[in-house]
Amino acid sequence: MSRSAGVPLFYLSLLLLGLLFISPIGFMLAGSLKPDARVLVEAGDWRVFWPAGLSLDNYLDVFARVDFVRYLLNSLFINGMIVGVGLLVNSLAGYAFARLQWRGRELLFGLVLAVMIIPLEAIAVPLFYMVSLAGWRDTYLVQILPFIANAFSIYLFYTYFIGMPRELEEAARIDGAGPLRTFFTIIVPNAKPVFASVAILTFLTQWGAFLWPLMVTSSEAVRPLPLAIATFHSLPPLQWGDIFAFGVMMVAPILVVFLLFQRWFVRGVVATGIKG
Amino acid sequence: MTMLTKSTPNQKRRGLTAVFMSAPALLGLLLFVAVPFLLAVALGFTNLRLGSPLPLEWLGFEQYRRIFADPSFSRALLNNLLFAFTVVPLQTVLALLLALLLNRSLGGIAFFRTLFFMPVVFPLSLVAVVWVLIFAPGPNGMMNSFLELVSFGAWTPRDFLHDPQLALPAIMLTSIWQGTGFQMVIILAGLQAIPAELYEAAAIDGARRWRQFWHVTLPQLRNTLIFVVLVTTILAFRLFDQVQIMTQGGPHDATTTVMFEAVQAAFARQQVARGAAMTVVLFLVVLLISWLQRRVARQEREVL
Amino acid sequence: MWRYLLSGLIAFLAACSEQPAEQKATVSPLKVWAHAGQAAERHVLEQQVARFNAAQPDIMVELTFIPERSYNAQVQAAAVAGELPDVLEFDGPFLYNYVWQGHLVPMGELLSAQTQDELLPSITKQGRYLGNLYGVGTFDSGLGLYARRSALEVTGLRIPTGPEDAWSGSEFVAVLEAIAQHDPDGMVLDLKLNYTGEWFTYAFSPLLQSAGGDLIDRSDYQSAADVLNGPQSMAAMQALQHWFTGGYVDPNVDDVAFVSGRVALSWAGHWEYPRYAEVLVDDLALLPLPDLGQGSRTGQGSWVWGVTDRCQDQQAAARFLEFLLQPEEVLAMAAANGAVPATSRAIERSPLYGAKGPLRLFSQQLQSGFSVPRPQTPAYPVITSAFQQVFADIRNAGDVQAALDKAVAVIDQDIRDNKGYPQHTERW
Repeated sequence: MSRSAGVPLFYLSLLLLGLLFISPIGFMLAGSLKPDARVLVEAGDWRVFWPAGLSLDNYLDVFARVDFVRYLLNSLFINGMIVGVGLLVNSLAGYAFARLQWRGRELLFGLVLAVMIIPLEAIAVPLFYMVSLAGWRDTYLVQILPFIANAFSIYLFYTYFIGMPRELEEAARIDGAGPLRTFFTIIVPNAKPVFASVAILTFLTQWGAFLWPLMVTSSEAVRPLPLAIATFHSLPPLQWGDIFAFGVMMVAPILVVFLLFQRWFVRGVVATGIKG
Repeated sequence: MTMLTKSTPNQKRRGLTAVFMSAPALLGLLLFVAVPFLLAVALGFTNLRLGSPLPLEWLGFEQYRRIFADPSFSRALLNNLLFAFTVVPLQTVLALLLALLLNRSLGGIAFFRTLFFMPVVFPLSLVAVVWVLIFAPGPNGMMNSFLELVSFGAWTPRDFLHDPQLALPAIMLTSIWQGTGFQMVIILAGLQAIPAELYEAAAIDGARRWRQFWHVTLPQLRNTLIFVVLVTTILAFRLFDQVQIMTQGGPHDATTTVMFEAVQAAFARQQVARGAAMTVVLFLVVLLISWLQRRVARQEREVL
Repeated sequence: MWRYLLSGLIAFLAACSEQPAEQKATVSPLKVWAHAGQAAERHVLEQQVARFNAAQPDIMVELTFIPERSYNAQVQAAAVAGELPDVLEFDGPFLYNYVWQGHLVPMGELLSAQTQDELLPSITKQGRYLGNLYGVGTFDSGLGLYARRSALEVTGLRIPTGPEDAWSGSEFVAVLEAIAQHDPDGMVLDLKLNYTGEWFTYAFSPLLQSAGGDLIDRSDYQSAADVLNGPQSMAAMQALQHWFTGGYVDPNVDDVAFVSGRVALSWAGHWEYPRYAEVLVDDLALLPLPDLGQGSRTGQGSWVWGVTDRCQDQQAAARFLEFLLQPEEVLAMAAANGAVPATSRAIERSPLYGAKGPLRLFSQQLQSGFSVPRPQTPAYPVITSAFQQVFADIRNAGDVQAALDKAVAVIDQDIRDNKGYPQHTERW
């Protein structure tokens, strides 16, 4: 295969594949811009991707039907806290496991790995009883605190730190710096990629959380975005245009976060994922 | 660890610092994961029904006996296995192919990477809702009309989500669509970490492209792939959102999963104890599988 | 930049959560939870609360809307946490479970005799448990067959005029067959398969009773055996399955099967009337559900209000409910959601449900005993979950007897597990 013929062919096949891949997203985007009644009627041919009668009515509808800004801010705050505090807490633990010698380290690390397997749904009910007894229902706290410590994040930090060259830390140590100071002055500045990866992964998994907030909150003041979609997705006839518009607006912030951190994310994955 | 021989006051202090550093995370995991899980294990031996005024009773293994006698639960386990053994390899191969395609420095390649990653940023609950519409029955459904187009009219419209043969594959397709981009990014990162010298050496040896792939790329990607497979397998056993929204476990349990059965028991029927017992079984199964995978991976390492 | 954003966000959220503190007047608020419903419904309830708060100085109602998806799970969660409001709205058939769990207080003494007398019999029937009234609705629901009259007239077959002369099972099949002959895809019946959850029990368990079967033996609510899987229920569910296997049922994923003219019959509730009437105008007919032997039977029940055990001032709760049950308020809500007004006085004045109204069938069904309340037992969540599974199996061409047997096993097991759901009166 000659190179001159190969490149356009390569692009063409990639483009076709890519279009196929994002066609569901195109369907959603186009649907969010056209009247509800046409969303499904036009699903059987090319018009599915064509925002006929281009209008922002569905978006305005979303704002009219729920306090979107309130939900969005709640979601941003909850996820911001989980990601922010989580980065600190889990990276410290990851460092302690990767670099420091202490009694019980091996055993505890094994337990952390085992805990990684437990899905939230498996512990939702007992956890729910616990936070209810503590009187934490219907707060931000109850949506944040249980998700800060994260076994998977600790594991990712651990693998990254293990792979870092020791020389820098040795130098700091000779200068008399303790582990905490070494961590904040030497490790953190040199480990931005893994922080970006963990931030994005945590954000992605928490952004769509539905079951837990549903169980532990009841007032709009603290409820996150995924619960707002229940308002659109429960009473038939369903207004697909509104649902799609809501979806687009809900995904947009994540896309922005991803694009912002993409470069670091890929680099972070290089150094964590491959250690297996 | 080479520098350690015996404990000095300095090292003791460092040990204390280590405990201090890991304490917040460990405390969090203990309180919010380990304790509730142990509670779930305990609840699985009782008759607890959400909000019931009846006294709590110790039932021993009764809940376990019942769920294993329940054909829906066996079907759920089987579906989870089917799902894992289909989706994990397919998705990994697809992600690997995409990563290989996109691992070049051509103009606009970043655009394509973002394109294939896009589905990952969509929450599963939203993805499932969109795919329900895509799988709409009748000639007006998007998937039906697409298949009709590519088969030049030979395809007769099917009701995917209510067809015992097609419902689980439909959910698999949805999951693969959503998950491939994530794997792709990780594999892409793995590819970029492979030292260029290895390829150069192989090129000097006159190795052809697919031999290069076989002898350089794949061995170098080994750890990445193990990681990806492990994570995807764990996720496959947690399968829930898509089932809940797209098929409710039907038709005839063709798409039910352990997590779906557990949530159905604990929430729709308020039988918390039964749900807890199911999740304990799930935990043991996933533990077993991760252990097997780690063993297999370790053995391979020894052989290589 | 992130630091500023975050601190700004925190400041904003703190400001938002401080607001209610200012409103803390001398009266302690009466906390009320309601289902979010449609925008119009929400709007009317908000106005009603505002009117009530303005009309008297003693009680301050504080209203919270809860999305209806997973409403029961949310109520259960709040109950476990001891955080139920004073007045709770809930889906009617969950009442018995809540009473059993001790979350509701009887209202027989709280509401005036006159108010109780005026309620629709369907509402008192569904709201009564163990000899006491625990829930009242300000509206009830109507279920029937909407039809395109012109499509029926083409077939030359008989068109029922009231619940007494509903089509028999075989007549109904003949109608389906006749209309299907004029229909391009042969799918002429909309059963609202796009709905989920409770709809299937609400809309299709009346078929059981119409054939002489039922969801459970209502003499003591201890078993579903030989009732839900008995020959009558079996016959009813086979009839239902026949409509599917005959290819008459439109999957209706887009929920426009009826208004787009794809089908001529739509098995649906009162809430569809505005949309259907707008499109079909004079061609719209409202018919009773088919009679499978023991007379036409239909569903009933909707959202109802109850007073919880957390309520400190039950008189205040009662005053609020009495307010909502005044004819003007009942009519205001009915106008917003199109449901059947809950009191006889309101029905007389209703343009839709009064003597000459187009939805007279619905109020007639509820007033003259054609509607069947869902089983009055705390086992209801399990019963409905099991029946929904039956419906799914029937739709997917499963074996009817096996599906019913399985449901019976699930229901009976649950009743045994809970010792027959004994009442723990000592809790009071």
